[in-house]
Amino acid sequence: MDKLLSVDGLKTHFFLKRGVVKAVDGVSFALAAGETLGLIGESGSGKTVTGLSILGLPPRPAGRIVAGSIRLDGVELVGLSERTLASEIRGRKIAMISQDPMSSLNPVFTVGSQVAAPIRAHGLARGRSAMDLAIDELARVRVPSATERAGNYPHQFSGGMRQRVVAAMAIACKPRLLIADEPTSALDVTIQVQFMDLIESIQAETGAGLLFVTHDLGVAASLCHRIAVMYAGQIVESADVRTLYANPAHPYTQGLLESLPKLGARQSRLSSIKGTPPDPLSLPDGCAFHPRCPHATDRCRQQAPPSIDLGDGQRASCWLLENA
Amino acid sequence: MRQYIYKRLWQGAIAIVGALFIVFIAQRLSGDPVALLLPMDATEEDFAAMRVELGLDRPFVVQFGLFFSDAVRGDFGDSYLWNQPAMSLLLDRLPATLELALAGLVFAILLAVPLGVLSAAYRGGWIDNTAKLFAMLGQAMPGFWVGLLLIVVIAVKLQWLPAYGRGTLAHLILPAIALGWYPVAAMTRTLRSSMLDILESDYIRMERAVGIPERLIIWRYALRNAAVPLVTMIGVYFANMLGGAFVIEVVFAWPGVGRTVVEAVFARDFPVVQAGVVLASVVFVVVNLIVDLSYGFIDPRIRHD
Repeated sequence: MDKLLSVDGLKTHFFLKRGVVKAVDGVSFALAAGETLGLIGESGSGKTVTGLSILGLPPRPAGRIVAGSIRLDGVELVGLSERTLASEIRGRKIAMISQDPMSSLNPVFTVGSQVAAPIRAHGLARGRSAMDLAIDELARVRVPSATERAGNYPHQFSGGMRQRVVAAMAIACKPRLLIADEPTSALDVTIQVQFMDLIESIQAETGAGLLFVTHDLGVAASLCHRIAVMYAGQIVESADVRTLYANPAHPYTQGLLESLPKLGARQSRLSSIKGTPPDPLSLPDGCAFHPRCPHATDRCRQQAPPSIDLGDGQRASCWLLENA
Repeated sequence: MRQYIYKRLWQGAIAIVGALFIVFIAQRLSGDPVALLLPMDATEEDFAAMRVELGLDRPFVVQFGLFFSDAVRGDFGDSYLWNQPAMSLLLDRLPATLELALAGLVFAILLAVPLGVLSAAYRGGWIDNTAKLFAMLGQAMPGFWVGLLLIVVIAVKLQWLPAYGRGTLAHLILPAIALGWYPVAAMTRTLRSSMLDILESDYIRMERAVGIPERLIIWRYALRNAAVPLVTMIGVYFANMLGGAFVIEVVFAWPGVGRTVVEAVFARDFPVVQAGVVLASVVFVVVNLIVDLSYGFIDPRIRHD
């Protein structure tokens, strides 16, 4: 396959005193260069941990990748040493734009030196020329008067500008894969739009693959080519973005889409998915979604459904689709 | 920035005036000085004459004014014991105290920074456990007792280092360890807990995500963030050591300010005690000002502009 990233049967579990949390439990997907895949789910569905696992940074000390394979350009990443991951993969081939711009920059270093840090760490340039490259990156993410601003500290920037600095730091070494973890959820709506435009243009420029982790269906629809919906550590449905929004197959995806307000439609109340996400320490037997599913049968309560190919690249894990 | 310095200098001056006032009051409360100076069979007239001579008959405010104007010129009277001006007696001994305090501080920092950083970076590992033991011992064992132990074991039994006095570098080692003992424990614990918080922070995760080597993350990017609370502690302990490492100086017969003040207390040498208290408060104010100004260099968010 000419896939940039292929994740196969990834399992990242948290070993806590109270038990094992299967935060990511058998996740598989693939991503081509230049493609954007949206990883969608509620808080706790495992989407962020999936992103961190790809970076080889499952939350320590409890989190561990226990099974599966992550291949980047055909090279297996699971099992690489920490040193190799840091020096050859992170920042260089895969980088992450993290969630909260207010807390993702080191408060006691100038933004220029923070953007220059990965450039220096990966040996692309040293000293003053690393700083010059950092200033170029700041200009690329459209930080105004980048040369002067490079000497400023994070607290002298607005939230939207900080998020651009974080993006500059991530793309500084031209990674092949960008993981964006809810990069817009802490921003105002107008700033969100600007930032998404920026991400799209960065991607167009560099041809990087983008894994876009979010709970925001609207943002995902406008940015992603394909969507994978996560629930309780598993991907319950994946499809290209049009198919998914037009013909959601999994009851959970249907519920998510129905809970969005629609323009022009008269609704007295938004519908919602009843119940709450399951306790990660004791997932229900069978399909993890069955306690909240309006169509659940006895079979759903006993056996986990297989992933069913629905054609046109759409797959969903649900017993209801077996005969469809 | 300049305005901030002026403001802090002004506050420092008020604190020192406060200290002078307390010293002045304490002197009045410690008994009638005339009774100490006159012979047993002195008459009522002798007392009155002596009071007039010493200015004790004048209003309280005037007496404080006179004391204050002498004090700001560094004049606390002559030492009864040494027959020389009290403040210059102490200032002569300040270099010895400074030397010991600096040595104690360097010892504490050299031990506490690696212990605190590494125990956070390798939480639960052997360094962490060793550091915990150090911190517990440090806080449970008072400095004078550590000093006595060091003298008994290192100086007397093993005869590696001299037990008392000042002179060579070898003389400095044991008192410096005894003096730095408690600060090591406190600084290690503070540094460990702030490093633990910082190493879990989003910005450290971001730095890891772009491939910054862990060594650099710990010693550069995280440690600088942990430095602010550490510098606060360093300032407090350094001021304490300078203002009077009384116990340690006595235990090791170190010819510094602290020991001289202790001797003065026992000899009821009031001018020296007063000068000592005032000197300690001046040192405290100055060190704290330096610490507060240094924050701005470590953390840009606290720059006073």
